[in-house]
Amino acid sequence: MKKCLFAAGFAALMSTTAMAEGIGVTMAAFDDNFLTVLRNGIQSQADAAGLSVQIEDAQNDVAKQLDQINNFIASGVDAIIVNPVDTSATQAMSDAAAAAGVPLVYVNRQPINVDTLPDGQAFVASNEVDSSSQGFIEQCNQWAAAGKTEVSVYVMQGELSNQAAVQRTQNYYDVMDAGKCAVKVNIIDQQTANWSRDQATSLMTNWLSTGAPFDGVLANNDEMALGAIQAIKAAGIGMDAVIVSGVDATQDALASMQAGELDITVFQNAAAQGGGALDAAVKLAAGEAVEKKVYIPFELVTPANIDGYLAKN
Amino acid sequence: MAQTSHGIGGLSYDPAKNSRPPELNVLLALVLITTAFELIGRLFMGDSFLFNTRENVDALFNWQRLNIIILQVSIVGIIALGVTQVIISGGIDLSSGSIVGATAMITMSFAQTAIVNGNPNPKAIFGDWAMDLPVLVPVAVGLCCGLIAGLVNGALIAYTRIPPFIATLGMMVFARGLSRWWSNGNPVSFPTEGYAVIGQGMMPVVIFVSLAVLFHLVLNHTKYGKHCYAIGSNEQASRMSGIKVNNHKVLVYTIAGILAALAAVVVSSKNLTAQSGMGMMYELDAIAMAVIGGVSLQGGRGSILGTVLGALIFGVIISGFTFLKLDAYYQEMVKGVIIVGAVVLDQWRQKNRGRG
Repeated sequence: MKKCLFAAGFAALMSTTAMAEGIGVTMAAFDDNFLTVLRNGIQSQADAAGLSVQIEDAQNDVAKQLDQINNFIASGVDAIIVNPVDTSATQAMSDAAAAAGVPLVYVNRQPINVDTLPDGQAFVASNEVDSSSQGFIEQCNQWAAAGKTEVSVYVMQGELSNQAAVQRTQNYYDVMDAGKCAVKVNIIDQQTANWSRDQATSLMTNWLSTGAPFDGVLANNDEMALGAIQAIKAAGIGMDAVIVSGVDATQDALASMQAGELDITVFQNAAAQGGGALDAAVKLAAGEAVEKKVYIPFELVTPANIDGYLAKN
Repeated sequence: MAQTSHGIGGLSYDPAKNSRPPELNVLLALVLITTAFELIGRLFMGDSFLFNTRENVDALFNWQRLNIIILQVSIVGIIALGVTQVIISGGIDLSSGSIVGATAMITMSFAQTAIVNGNPNPKAIFGDWAMDLPVLVPVAVGLCCGLIAGLVNGALIAYTRIPPFIATLGMMVFARGLSRWWSNGNPVSFPTEGYAVIGQGMMPVVIFVSLAVLFHLVLNHTKYGKHCYAIGSNEQASRMSGIKVNNHKVLVYTIAGILAALAAVVVSSKNLTAQSGMGMMYELDAIAMAVIGGVSLQGGRGSILGTVLGALIFGVIISGFTFLKLDAYYQEMVKGVIIVGAVVLDQWRQKNRGRG
């Protein structure tokens, strides 16, 4: 009897290894709106293709993420998708996967070693250089259309350790330096609100308490743009007087845009990034060639074309 | 340590304690920090921190800044009121931030509106039955969540005798997991107009201040309050003198849980959204407010007034940093120094008084 059970157990074990075909995914955080859409993009694509994926939550912990990757390698997955917690800590991840010969795909956040990725590794994302610059150029045009030649703005940054936050802020300066902005822009102050709506509301209210006149807010993401809008509304300033831009085109942001508050956002196709990452991982696992950098384009969203995006995020 | 030599349970009259209330030191620190920002502002920025310098506004003070100073700390402040009682009774509560996250998610799911800008609510959690409910429903659901979490904390600590640090650490991890699981990490948004009123404008401050007054009275003028101090000072002695220590502990943690849940209701209403990461680190900010306000982690010492002043110090620091346009990297570092500095000063003061 005992032997029989043993054999059955062993057979079950064998069969799971045989049909593993698994892809391990480690996400920086589960409680992030955008990353959740991306995660669901991976999951639904995998379900459609009949692939098994195991998705882990690194809870914004670099060490935990590396452990998860090593666990994936140890359990013999066919490929790994990493949404890095810290984009400067990816070398160790690339090394671990390369040493074990397991294909690895970075998604959404650009790893520091993106230009020196070993064979069998790729990066799937939207090109951050296009993100906030699209929105900002549109913002400049709207100011120019309103007859302004010189404007004063506040800049809200995301978490300072995050490459997207740094890049999105840099984009503002690059657009100005390249002369792509139709008006002259003075940045009154630039601070972080850590991507958070609550912190952004407080930060904006603190700024408003200085009484300096301003023409708009450049926020690194929509949550912060919404926080800024709440504070501006609470201070009794009309939303027609200022132009606020964000990035992400979340549902909350689109609702605010429909209500005539948020002026500009940029849609980053999270689900397409997730799907793209899974595609790349599957191809790499099958030994096919994949571009080192796969870019999913950003799309500008204004009240004029909002209808096309309401159901997307 | 000095107080144990002054009679059982710290209940006896101690003239050294009454000569200069510890809250006075906290108030002094608050005034000093505020003055420092005012001076630095005038010297280097050419602007005033507290006073109105705008020509188009007719007011002595910069009311907008005074408002945000207290508004931005009142939600964590509500939690700190509960944490203060827990610490005075000799415990600690690490779970409050996560309770905020879980409660916000659950509460907001019952506070949603069916139609957003003419479309069905894109973030709907339940079906039509849970849409546009009267505001009392989500609030009651929320407070029940906090009550249950607090009851579990208290019961674990009182009856299984595991240290409060561990029990509430467990609740912290559990509740954060619950808040992520609730909607698979998706935010829950678009509340009814009635629900949005709770956190609108200065409402968080009104709620915070009223509760502070209430619990100030409760701690100073009720049996419950006296028992908090007694148990925190000397648990054995309190048990011997007939205080139902276990029941009291359950009650203290339950109150702390309900206050955390109330903070969740206010924060989700204020932001018109609930996110599973909400309340992250609130527990530590709340503990820091209490400690800066002179609440002793050894238990038995501290007051609601001190905690409120501690919260104000936090608020002044945050607004002051933005006012000076100080780089965000330095802000955290300075905040850390201030937390530790406040406690070191307080300890030093205690020691000196013990000698005298």
